Amino acid sequence: MPPRARLRLLVGGVLAGVAATLVALHLAAPSAAAAQQRDTTRGDTSRVERPFVRGGVYDKPFENRLGSRTAFGGYAEAHARHERADGATEESGFVAKRFNLFASARVSDVVRFASELEFEEGGEEIKLEFAAIDLRIHPALALRGGMILSPLGRFNLSHDSPLNEFTDRPLVSTELIGVALSEPGFGALGQLRAGKGGRLTYELYATNGFHDGLITASEDGTRIPLGRGNHEDNNASPAFVGRLAWSPRQAFELGLSAHRGAYNVFKIEGVDVDERRNATITVVDFDASAAGIRLQGEAAMASVQVPAGLVGIYASRQRGAYVEATREFGRGLVRTLSNSIFAAKVRWDGVDFDSSLPGDSHAQWTLGVNFRPTRESVVKFDVVRGRTRDAFNNASERAAFLVSLATYF
Amino acid sequence: MLTLLTSFKVARGVVFLAVLALVAISCSDFLTSAPDDGDVFDAPLEGLTAAEQAAFVRGDAEFGRRFSPATGLGPVFNNVSCISCHSGDGRGRLENSLHRIGSVADGFLGAIGGPQIQDKATPGAHAEPIPTGVAVSVRLPPPVFGAGLIEAIPDAALIALADENDANGDGISGRPNWTTSHEYVPATEPGGGAGPRIGRFGRKAQTPTILQQTVEAYHQDMGITSEFHPQENRNPMSPVPAENFDLAADPEVPSATVLAVVHYLRTLAPPAAGAESAARAEGKSLFTSVGCAQCHVPTLNTGLHAIAALANKPVTLYSDLLLHDMGDALADNRPDGGASGREWRTTPLWGLRLMRQFLNGQAFLMHDGRARTVEQAILLHGGEALRARTAFAGLSVGQRASLLDFVESR
Ligand code: HEC
Ligand code: HEC
Repeated sequence: MPPRARLRLLVGGVLAGVAATLVALHLAAPSAAAAQQRDTTRGDTSRVERPFVRGGVYDKPFENRLGSRTAFGGYAEAHARHERADGATEESGFVAKRFNLFASARVSDVVRFASELEFEEGGEEIKLEFAAIDLRIHPALALRGGMILSPLGRFNLSHDSPLNEFTDRPLVSTELIGVALSEPGFGALGQLRAGKGGRLTYELYATNGFHDGLITASEDGTRIPLGRGNHEDNNASPAFVGRLAWSPRQAFELGLSAHRGAYNVFKIEGVDVDERRNATITVVDFDASAAGIRLQGEAAMASVQVPAGLVGIYASRQRGAYVEATREFGRGLVRTLSNSIFAAKVRWDGVDFDSSLPGDSHAQWTLGVNFRPTRESVVKFDVVRGRTRDAFNNASERAAFLVSLATYF
Repeated sequence: MLTLLTSFKVARGVVFLAVLALVAISCSDFLTSAPDDGDVFDAPLEGLTAAEQAAFVRGDAEFGRRFSPATGLGPVFNNVSCISCHSGDGRGRLENSLHRIGSVADGFLGAIGGPQIQDKATPGAHAEPIPTGVAVSVRLPPPVFGAGLIEAIPDAALIALADENDANGDGISGRPNWTTSHEYVPATEPGGGAGPRIGRFGRKAQTPTILQQTVEAYHQDMGITSEFHPQENRNPMSPVPAENFDLAADPEVPSATVLAVVHYLRTLAPPAAGAESAARAEGKSLFTSVGCAQCHVPTLNTGLHAIAALANKPVTLYSDLLLHDMGDALADNRPDGGASGREWRTTPLWGLRLMRQFLNGQAFLMHDGRARTVEQAILLHGGEALRARTAFAGLSVGQRASLLDFVESR
């Protein structure tokens, strides 16, 4: 398809989308007054209201603490780790894992700003994880631009360490999706009513997408996280990322999301210099609570078009998943801390780095207990047992004991 | 009272968790366990000094290091790390085979991508297709352990085993592959310096030193330039200069990296042989009586060496490291150094006991991996080994089984 026709199609598509949304809004929108009250994409989120994404932007404890227009906060996380592989100690020591600063402001009734600055591993990596301006037009339509958190799986949107019940993020999140995945982008988000007490939320953005570091900078085969940080779009061709989540009631959500775009430089100043190669990631996520057990999980599939000369060395298909269950118990068991609570937890997570090979994978089980003196802080104890397989499908056994502390502030 | 009670409950919980943790920690299996040094291909020789062990660890990391286009991989290459072909330091599998073309006579067909075909390329660069109409030699990666011991066997020991004109009339006429060392190999290296040298490495014993084998592996197999070989290997048929797609400045690794790998290979121990038994003793004597031991010489000895752990040691490799005409079926018709298109180096048989362990249960034998079992490998022997093959085939079922058991326990 010639580029001009493609552009026309794109513009047409966007216009049609906006029109359809407006019609849908009109049909689905609650009365203006109710809309005002139900507005959870605004900064005045009272705890009774349902946040846009549980634990996501604008659903942090510090948001509600200060009366002022601007709020500051953050979270910190420290690990003690002992990791073994095939009978040898791989890592044993302490990690000042993360120190993240949040700042958000309600600039006006319509405009909000939120940001998150991350310092990882003692400042080795400093990253502006989030810095976006929201322009709220209607509960069903807000525009967002800036450094956005890509809506690719629920975990990417809600991964703060004090919320994550496990010391480590799931393998699928760190190795396949690249949580925290944030990109310069522009787009829209909103929520629609779906039946009594139910709702649909959506986020859709055009972003810079990934760069070819996911192959050229990777020594381990295709690694999408190494294509992050495309701050000046390498190929002047946007990627698209969107998530649709359906929640028929509190504490139940099912999400579907996808990210797609070209990652390589295929055109320089209008001259074709390479063929266009896309990376596509699709994620299904869920979050449900029943009988006191919270179940969360995500499954992701990635498809990366690999340059001909690297086929067989770099994977073109990857997949991964995690499922975890947590059960809280012993509220107030520690008498001096009446709000304290324990949690028992179990998780399975794994990634298949190359779906075309029997090997090249990593999977593990984690069991553990958490103690929260209050909601904002947590001490986690994790026992991990897993197995990696190399490209020859030879197995390597892994085990770890992890203790970590995390708190919002 | 209540406080007491709950603190008791909490204390119980804490004790329970502590006990659980202790049980888990004391259960070493839970924390994963390591195989014995004799059961792997990547253990260091016994008797290394602390400094030699430190260098071994460094070389181990370099042998396992994977390269990306950003760190120098390519522009044309075959694989991303040494370990990606030599699995667990053992044999490779068919997908990791190399294809070699050309010979001295035709300038190694350099104009069409020889001597080695690089079938992979970094983005933008062009991989080399395997040409048709020329002799192509397929080479399965051999194991790399024991390389230092192989290198430390004096030339004289190998010359003593040679019988180029079959003077003793046993139908076997082994001869060394006389090669010249590359000029970047200093005379101080075993096998280095000017003048003809006995090749010991490679399926046709075409390489005289570990240093040369390593430098060429970096250069040819991975497209990594070093101070020894700073010019990038290119695809001569590529329409654009390969430098256009080379992301890393040359040399891509310093000499220190290459020398660390050389030291690592040099100090890698061979695995231990399996347990002895009466049946194996029978197999062992059949191995000699049938004639296998004439080429697969059980033990050779090293001479002097700067590394004490390598000096004057028995090397139980089951090879004479000499070239033998193995008949038409195995011939690749591509000469290599002094080796003809029908000759192959006697493959050392050490480590056969564990060969499946690092290939997830698979096994590939002979220079191109065409045999899947030891028995198939023996039945493929021809040429100078035809007599031994026929003798093997004439053994009783039980005798064959004990001979195979012996070979597979090495
Ligand atoms: C693409 C696969 C591949 C890669 C990568 C590779 N090798 Fe090899 N290696 C081979 C093959 C095939 C041979 C046999 C070559 C021959 O017979 O001509 C070999 C032979 C060897 C030998 C000789 C063993 C013997 O007893 O004959 C050594 C030592 C060795 N390689 C070391 C290395 C080192 C060190 C590296 C990394 C710097 C490396 N190899 C990377 C495929 C590979
Ligand atoms: C004339 C010398 C000679 C004799 C005699 C001989 N072999 Fe071999 N053997 C070789 C050579 C040379 C090779 C390598 C051939 C190739 O790679 O194509 C080899 C390869 C092998 C291999 C494959 C090893 C591997 O890792 O690929 C086995 C097993 C083997 N021989 C066992 C035996 C047994 C058992 C006997 C006695 C029945 C025997 N050989 C007799 C020269 C000999």
